[in-house]
Amino acid sequence: MTGQITERVWERPLIAAGRIFLWGSVCFWLIFVLAPVLVTVVSSFTAAEFLTFPPKGFSLRWYFRVMELDWFLTSMQTSLIVAAVSTLIATIFAVLAARVLTRHRFRAKGAFEILMLSPLIIPGVVFGFAFFNVVLQFRMEGWNLLNLFVAHSVVTIPLMLRPIWSSMAGTDLSLEEAAQCLGATPWVTFWKITFPMILPGIVAGAIIAFTFSFNDITIAIFLVGPGTQTLPVQLMSQIEYTPDASPAAITSIIIFFTLILFFIIDRTVGMDVFAQK
Amino acid sequence: MSAGAKRETYIIGAPASVWLIVLLVIPCLYLLFQSLTPLSGSGLSLENYANLIESSTFQKALRRSVIVSIWVTILTVLAGYPIALVASRASSRTRTIVMVIVIFPFLLSAVVRAYGWTVILGENGVVNDFLVGIGLIDEPLKLIQNTFAIVVGETHVLLPYMVLSLLTVIQRIDRNLEAAAMSLGASPPVIFFKVVVPLTLPGLLTGMLLVFSLSMTAFATPFLLGGPRSPILTVLMYQYAYTLFDWSKATAVAGVLLILGLGFVILHRFVSRRLMRDAEAKS
Repeated sequence: MTGQITERVWERPLIAAGRIFLWGSVCFWLIFVLAPVLVTVVSSFTAAEFLTFPPKGFSLRWYFRVMELDWFLTSMQTSLIVAAVSTLIATIFAVLAARVLTRHRFRAKGAFEILMLSPLIIPGVVFGFAFFNVVLQFRMEGWNLLNLFVAHSVVTIPLMLRPIWSSMAGTDLSLEEAAQCLGATPWVTFWKITFPMILPGIVAGAIIAFTFSFNDITIAIFLVGPGTQTLPVQLMSQIEYTPDASPAAITSIIIFFTLILFFIIDRTVGMDVFAQK
Repeated sequence: MSAGAKRETYIIGAPASVWLIVLLVIPCLYLLFQSLTPLSGSGLSLENYANLIESSTFQKALRRSVIVSIWVTILTVLAGYPIALVASRASSRTRTIVMVIVIFPFLLSAVVRAYGWTVILGENGVVNDFLVGIGLIDEPLKLIQNTFAIVVGETHVLLPYMVLSLLTVIQRIDRNLEAAAMSLGASPPVIFFKVVVPLTLPGLLTGMLLVFSLSMTAFATPFLLGGPRSPILTVLMYQYAYTLFDWSKATAVAGVLLILGLGFVILHRFVSRRLMRDAEAKS
């Protein structure tokens, strides 16, 4: 008995050391996660001609400067259009697929599910190359915008399907049946009953799909053309030749909008949507 | 099931199926087919793959891919355990802060992260300025455009996957087991290795598989941070197609990546089902 008690006394500093080690490593890794974001945002406010960290002085000059950069404005516009159109296409397919998976029973359901999730299984860079390969066969390489719409809508279907699927699985089927009993057509039932109930899932899915498309380099790098560079691809080629803080200002603007979208997800469906992969 | 309901299933299920088969499955199969048809002869053969395996560029890239993925897996495990432990045990407020910081980078563009790392690790970056400033080194270290930078960048990208896999299993541990171990005189490190680690093994294994496979097939971060002279497999495929104009080798690398990707998914499903069954059998 006494032996045990002395052991405990001896262990106390050990326990304290363990706790310090645990919290120390957590702090280290959290700083590691935040570092590239914080350093970029902080150094974008520099007043100096070249990018430095810590920044020299404080100014918003680089934010005003990038607003006059042609390549930034046009590629931003391209990226927004591509992300919006491909998200819209993917939404339609994902809602239909979620309906099949939650409301219907058929033999090939397992295969259908695997097909819907296949864009997550096939490495993005292989899909980009395979898609580009086919585009070349049909001599469609000049149709950059169309190719980007289509390719991004393919890879974002599973990203949208997950949240829509889970919100549709959570809806009460009897409400739809009640509406139909009262004489509502399937179309009216969908818009008046089902759609409002799955809206949070659609919003979360659309945000994830939109950000994916907006951020994508892996697939876009194969499909962009001279006049239709997306923002990440354009930014990638500009960074090499830009020693000033304008890329930092642009990335800070992107980080700012990403944060807003992140908090919309957190408020609507919660961060758990990211846990499913 | 009535014929009407069946027809409805087809009508609703068809658009997405056709879309994915025509635009994803067929292009990938076509690429595989191309990789099996060498330029020289006719008919199917493994000639492109044989040429690929012989080339030292491919061997180097494959080795680099594996080394990077092993390092990334080790680092994400080392980071994942403390973060998941703290997130599952701390107050709900601390938990929220930790999870927001861990998960937020999910939505961050690869180019944004890569730029951040360039500012930190570049020749005139934060780390080199500091090390030169305190006089530890005379010349700035080369921390970017090499394998080291890929490991750092990929660890940053894949850390949330590991944390989430570990968190789901850590949350399921019965706290009474730890209390029991504690009352029997076990110290926290002993409890961690004898109680927590064995119980989280399923999450650890599936997380490691996931991180390893995603790291093997990642493109954007290795492309941006590794530079042209240290390609991993995915970057090599891009180089074959775009800078070396060797289409048949590019298709062969794509075939290797496709098989790797599918193999890991099958392995992942198998392992997680097996572990799930074991866990259920025990409880």
